[in-house]
Amino acid sequence: MAEPLVRAEGFTYTYPEATEPGLRDVSLEIEPGTFTVLAGVSGSGKSTLLRAICGLVPHFHGGAATGELSVAGMSVREHGPGDLAAVCGTVLQEPESQVVMGGVMAELELPLEHAGEPPGAVARAVEETALALGVAHLLDRRTDTLSGGELQRVAIAAAMVRRPALLLLDEPTSQLDPVAGDELVWLLRRLNEDWGTAVVMAEHRLERCLPAAGRVIALEESRIACDAPPAEFLSWAADSAPALATPAARLFSQAGLRPLPASVREARAGLRGAALDARRPAAPAPAPASGRPALGVRDAWVEIPEGPVILRGLTLALRPGERVALMGRNGAGKSTLVRLMKGLIEPTRGRVERTGPVALLLQHPGDYLLHEHAGDEVGAEGLAAAGLSGRAEANPRDLSGGERQRLALEVVLEGEPSAAVLLDEPTRGMDRVHKDALAERCGALAHAGAAVVVATHDTEFAATFADRVVLLGQGVTIADASPLEVLGGGWHFSTDVARITDGAALTPDDGAVLLRERLAGAPA
Amino acid sequence: MKFVPVYRPKPSALHSARPGVAASFCASLALVGALYQHPLVLAGALAAIWAAAAGAGVGREVLNALRVALPFALLVTVINPLVYQEGNTLLIRGGEVLGRRFDVTLEATVAGALAGVRVVVIIVALWLMSVAVDPDALLRLFRRVSYRSALTASLATRLVPVLARDATRMSDAARCRPVPPGRLAVARSTLAGALDRSVDLAAALELRGYALAGRPARRRLAWSRHDIRLTTAAVLIVALSVAGRVAGVASVDFYPLLGIDLGPPELVLAVLLMVLAAAPFAGVSARMGVARG
Repeated sequence: MAEPLVRAEGFTYTYPEATEPGLRDVSLEIEPGTFTVLAGVSGSGKSTLLRAICGLVPHFHGGAATGELSVAGMSVREHGPGDLAAVCGTVLQEPESQVVMGGVMAELELPLEHAGEPPGAVARAVEETALALGVAHLLDRRTDTLSGGELQRVAIAAAMVRRPALLLLDEPTSQLDPVAGDELVWLLRRLNEDWGTAVVMAEHRLERCLPAAGRVIALEESRIACDAPPAEFLSWAADSAPALATPAARLFSQAGLRPLPASVREARAGLRGAALDARRPAAPAPAPASGRPALGVRDAWVEIPEGPVILRGLTLALRPGERVALMGRNGAGKSTLVRLMKGLIEPTRGRVERTGPVALLLQHPGDYLLHEHAGDEVGAEGLAAAGLSGRAEANPRDLSGGERQRLALEVVLEGEPSAAVLLDEPTRGMDRVHKDALAERCGALAHAGAAVVVATHDTEFAATFADRVVLLGQGVTIADASPLEVLGGGWHFSTDVARITDGAALTPDDGAVLLRERLAGAPA
Repeated sequence: MKFVPVYRPKPSALHSARPGVAASFCASLALVGALYQHPLVLAGALAAIWAAAAGAGVGREVLNALRVALPFALLVTVINPLVYQEGNTLLIRGGEVLGRRFDVTLEATVAGALAGVRVVVIIVALWLMSVAVDPDALLRLFRRVSYRSALTASLATRLVPVLARDATRMSDAARCRPVPPGRLAVARSTLAGALDRSVDLAAALELRGYALAGRPARRRLAWSRHDIRLTTAAVLIVALSVAGRVAGVASVDFYPLLGIDLGPPELVLAVLLMVLAAAPFAGVSARMGVARG
């Protein structure tokens, strides 16, 4: 057995001014060349553990640490992030804050210059890293012109340019669309398999990275609750922490099937092994809602001066009480459409008809929170709706991402009831518990008569929340039907359960009902 | 972002040259504005800067610089005759305020206008530097002198577009609130957001080994033909400007009566400045900039 890269023994850490530890009695070892996923709901301690391994805790954040945590033999209590950077590359969550220089080339050169490498070695390392990590075509670009996915790849390249043995990533895909997220996981897998880099990655969307992982460490309330290979972790999660189970695992678990699959491929193989055919004819699409639209877009064009055409004569009517998922690839026009509906931008041609106030929550909820106390942002009723009744005195910046999102939603909903509520990518970086809570709140708004539109890449959320899916492409509607029709028959826009059941069901709950019917031999 | 100079890589001689050389070339053009107040020479300097900008493919960006610089020039033009009472040619007889007369003379007005043009020349030349010289590469030169200060300046140039985007986002969010928030609340929140981002960037810097950083090693690069051409042009512009100044060419007397030399030496100086500024960009290969292969 190789000497562990990371060794922790009874490591406990408390942030400055915190009353509870951020990490409690953590003991673990991470060997070279392994791929480990850190799982846990928001606030469980994943980020703190990563920040401890890279030395930011306690050297950058301050606070008190007890116990022992060492990386490549260096104790993190004695060695700071500068020392540990030689063996440990780190990429944090927000791509925009990961890149410190104006140009990609300079970004890759910086860690080597800090390490005192001579110019020849710097040039060679930059060239090799850029080629190996697929960012060579970005070397001459300015960092402020890169997409989120490109920025994150550049951040990984900068973290890897000194060829550390260990790469730490804190929810690196949370701010990316699914395609960019999948590409990133593929890149990490390649780093791990081809170059033997040990990867430790915190992630909410476990279905994306479990197929690459050899081990999962789950944290609950700042402690390690499970440390096992993916299959064993899924069994534990199904029984003890359902919020952490992947859709495929939940499908099998609820249907009473074992073993739980770590990937769609394993799930399909499992069904074939059990001689189960999950397919059934798709349910008929619901009849279109009738009545006067709450919000209508008629033949709307958005044409950027000296730029591209974003929307091309788009027409869409939203009825009161409808729950609509607005989907499409990056650049399809989703964000432009919700801004148009709200009135943040005007159509160059066509018109938007609103029967009442329209509430819009954009992608960064923190932008809506302007005061020192949560209680100053909204009234008591709004705080209660956000589930923050007891936290009126809390500074909004100290709230978790999910709490900030709920509070920001109540901020835009204040005043008279909205005819339409629009949310732009609200589930980015959210764990399943918070997604379920958001879906519930959206359901309540729709029940109260608002048309609720969520622009999202998240097919699992769309399947749970929506009763209608509108798919945009090239600025026009390319599909507008029930979730089962759009996501069940989709190739890219599809849920894991739909892939496993060939589009017969979208969610684990529906899929499990279907499988149980098959298991019982009942007619479909 | 139109009124913030932002560097973008382009295939031009100025963009391809080593940063010290490209910056020196732009600074030599700014020097003309610092040394001269003669209208013909200043016009020649502006034309020279525009020729260099057009050669580097950033003509439009430099026109934006004019929009920023002109209000400053106008301000100087207006303030100067109110502050200086010299000059014999009275344009406006002002009143008396606190025992002091405020008259506007032709001489003080022209002096103000030409001082304004000098400001324009300097701003536009430095704007050209900002849009055509890679700030990371330029500041790397200073990292050998004062590492932390130069790195801080690099971070500042990186943060300008990021914070501009943050501000646009926050403004959109404010418009989405049912009751628009007060400006103070938005400003305070924007500042807090900028501080948060700075803390995140500081953490990222620590992770890149900032704590161990020492003086970076000197890079030795061979001189390209663009480096040689631009250096030659910059040296000649500086030599010509200094020599002309020492020789008293293009002298201007404002007070008590306006006296501006307008003869062949001034014309030659203005034309030479334009020719020298445009020369490094002459020829197809210089305009293409980036070496093949």
